[in-house]
Amino acid sequence: MIFEERQIEKNNFSSRAIILFGLIILGLAAVLVKVFSLQISGYTDYQLAALKNKNYAVPVQSLRGEIFDRNGRALIKNEPTYDLITRPNLISNIDSFLEEIQPVIYLSETEKLRYIKFQKEKAFVNKELVLKKDLSDEEIARFNVRSFNFQNAFIAKRYRRISDYPDIFSHVLGYTSRTGDDFNAMPEIPRSHWKDVELTYASGLIKGKTGLEEIYDEHLSGRHGQRVYEMNARGQLVQSLSLTKPEKGSDLYTNLDIDAQKSAAKFLGNRKGAVVAIDLDAGGINVLYSSPAYSINKLSNGMSESEFQALINDQDKPFFNRALQGRYPPASTIKPAIGMYGLSNNIVNWDFEMKDPGFFTLPETGRIFRGWRKGGHGKVNMHKAFLVSSNTYFFSLAYQADINELSNHLSTLGFGKKVCLDCFDEDQAFVPTPEWKYSIMNAGWVKGDTVNLGIGQGYLVATPMQLANYASILATKGQFIEPSLVALGNQKKSLKTWQDERFDDADWNKMHQALLGVIESDYGTARSIRDLKDFQVAGKSGTAELVSLDSKEAYQEVRASELLRDHSIIIAFGPMPNPRYAVSVVIENGESGGAVAGPVAIEVLKSLIDE
Amino acid sequence: MNKSFQKIYFDPYLFFSLFLLSILGLFFLFSASNSDISLVLKQMVYVFAGFIIMILVSQPDPDIFRRTSGLFLIFSLLLLGITYLFGPEINGAQRWVRLGPFSFQSSELLKLAVPIFLANFLFDKKLPIQRNEIIMSLLIIFCCFFLVFRQPDLGTALIIACSGLFVLFLSGLSWAFIGGSFVLLIISSPFIWNILLQPFQRQRIATFFDPDSDPFGASWNIIQSKVAIGSGGLLGKGFGEGSQTQLNFLPETETDFIFSVIGEEFGFLGVLLLLSIYLFIILRCFYLALSARDRFCRLVIGGLSLTFAANLIINLCMVVGLLPVVGMPLPFISKGGSSLMSLFLAFGIIVSMGTHKKFLPQ
Repeated sequence: MIFEERQIEKNNFSSRAIILFGLIILGLAAVLVKVFSLQISGYTDYQLAALKNKNYAVPVQSLRGEIFDRNGRALIKNEPTYDLITRPNLISNIDSFLEEIQPVIYLSETEKLRYIKFQKEKAFVNKELVLKKDLSDEEIARFNVRSFNFQNAFIAKRYRRISDYPDIFSHVLGYTSRTGDDFNAMPEIPRSHWKDVELTYASGLIKGKTGLEEIYDEHLSGRHGQRVYEMNARGQLVQSLSLTKPEKGSDLYTNLDIDAQKSAAKFLGNRKGAVVAIDLDAGGINVLYSSPAYSINKLSNGMSESEFQALINDQDKPFFNRALQGRYPPASTIKPAIGMYGLSNNIVNWDFEMKDPGFFTLPETGRIFRGWRKGGHGKVNMHKAFLVSSNTYFFSLAYQADINELSNHLSTLGFGKKVCLDCFDEDQAFVPTPEWKYSIMNAGWVKGDTVNLGIGQGYLVATPMQLANYASILATKGQFIEPSLVALGNQKKSLKTWQDERFDDADWNKMHQALLGVIESDYGTARSIRDLKDFQVAGKSGTAELVSLDSKEAYQEVRASELLRDHSIIIAFGPMPNPRYAVSVVIENGESGGAVAGPVAIEVLKSLIDE
Repeated sequence: MNKSFQKIYFDPYLFFSLFLLSILGLFFLFSASNSDISLVLKQMVYVFAGFIIMILVSQPDPDIFRRTSGLFLIFSLLLLGITYLFGPEINGAQRWVRLGPFSFQSSELLKLAVPIFLANFLFDKKLPIQRNEIIMSLLIIFCCFFLVFRQPDLGTALIIACSGLFVLFLSGLSWAFIGGSFVLLIISSPFIWNILLQPFQRQRIATFFDPDSDPFGASWNIIQSKVAIGSGGLLGKGFGEGSQTQLNFLPETETDFIFSVIGEEFGFLGVLLLLSIYLFIILRCFYLALSARDRFCRLVIGGLSLTFAANLIINLCMVVGLLPVVGMPLPFISKGGSSLMSLFLAFGIIVSMGTHKKFLPQ
């Protein structure tokens, strides 16, 4: 090539090389700009994304608060138990490991199989696995001596929720049950991480299911902690990065009284029924007992399916909380309320007297309403009508009542509504009205319905809780403090007063005198319990008829079937003249109110007052 | 004359910048491999051998390379044929050939053989290049491209095609022809997409345009790579401290995605330093090309250094998400002997071409 040609070629090459190298430099610049946008502009987002990749947060279960009675004695506590935990990733040969540990810890075949089933997947991701729950003291001692042989296992403390009185506080305390996760308590942790929760309780994640455990679940729960692990791309835990410790839940100080509850359980025995007692100063519920009961320790810490089914299928319905959900006709215990209505509406006064021939004849139809005593009680005024529990007197009084006003009056005394501030699943029972009867039975309200209401029979039903509340209104001369199980300072209690200017203090005094006479006088229907105590008690007993019969003879036939026998009921308060406690007792199919339910009420009052 | 025999042909700028790059590469590799010291030692041996090869190859006169260029191309194609017949299948591709204890990726040699052969073919042709010469060149380029593409190894095949096209362009391809080819390429793109590309390659391109479509499947790599680089910030997380790298969220850290490791652990400043070294090497090659003694040397230096640069740019663009994922290592840093050997070989040739001067009468 000649020189000129070479020069042209060289220039041509240069310009083309500049184009290509220029493109390369442009490419490098584009990369640099992109890296800048990732590392400088997008830094925060990508840093978060990197953290989200590697940080694996798991909850650390909190300890629930404990529950105490009004004297500071534990009703439910956290009892330590010991589990053997292994680190499967440190176990090279699973069979020889199990063989080695067999003489130290007893393992059943199913426990072994379960362990073998899960150990591989846990080993892969470096997670822990429980080998044996609830170690015995011997097992713990044996393991501790040989622990240097087992670098891949350790003993961890776990808790169980235990009551020393599992069978008498069943309904009121309630039990806890296992839950899959507690996502709502810690929304920042994804639901799927709950499977790796660090447990504090041996039975897993627990939540209040019934009773106080449920009502005050939030108060008792505390706050779960959080442990953050570093996790690699294969889902293996590499190391623990941080730990936020859980906060123990607050303890719960209740108004319950262990001794009084024990008395209720002891004197009710294995009969079906309920006892409720209320402290008149603060409206605290001291006793809330329903029989038969069940063991909350077993329910909270794992009950076998067959045991659970047996409880569910039990004819006596142990899960049924009779104190809050049992609907019973109040029977004669309603008579003070009817008397209050008659007095404030000027239908009768304390001096009004009538003849009780043992029955009441409804003028419209000639239907006969019988008293409990053949031949009647002779001349009765209101005072005597309470003492001897004259049905005729109250039939006659109710006959003259306006049913709507009477229903309304009963509502003001807490019937037909929930009265307890913090009870689990309280039933509001029922006060009948003409509208209700028409809508349900498609029949009009008749005078006979009102007459039946006069002695607490017919459509009216009440729970033992409502009866105790009613007794406390009578005892405090019209004051109404919402009964509560827990005396939490920040909990609002409403204080209402039952007031009617036509029913004044003098009326209240006479009412107390009469109710005192029911138990303390020679004519009182509940005089049989007079000598069981050394303080004075006022009250009213009742016998709730389950079948409506015209004669005693007919009832003798009914008695043969136990489930059709009358319920025995009493409301009582004492010590008189300045009562501190009110109590209601219902014993299903217990018959005669005063003699059967009465002694239980007295024993409960005794344990409350004696303190 | 005597003096020239005593002279060692050596370019200090390239030598030291490549040395720096290789040493840094060993450190990066140590971190990227989760501190696998045996892997780093092995790579160190390759680097050492590479420098020796580079220095040895720098010594002969460029004429030797020119005269043997046909032989070299035939030898490379022969190796490729052996790979095709006897090579083990790894991950559905036949890319490796075994020579005793060593495995070698045979297509690497074509990256050198094609540009040198074309430079030899074109260096004495009159400007502008005639149609027959163009067709001849394109035919050679396409054959080599196609053979590697069938392995299948799209990345290397594209680089080989580029290496040939660079030489063709530098030797004076007419602009009209370039424009025409572009139009043709665009028209035939549906054909390329549907018939030539493997399903997994189509998938990679699809995820490139819609990375959120399948975050745990096909686009996992690129998402994790971006997170790694982005979370490095200005200064990086520190040597061996990159969580994306050390906890294996980032795939292929020792090979294709080693740049993401550097970005994560050394941050923007580290990236800036690394790119500066690369830029320096490229500019030095540019200078050597311009000042080379004849047209053949210019074309070879241009072709080889641009191939190296293209290789670099494609890898960088891929890991930062500017290009779809194609398997391509980061030159001088990624693990792998074959790539390293062919790179040192290429730079040895570049140094030879750039430092041998014609003796002008004094």
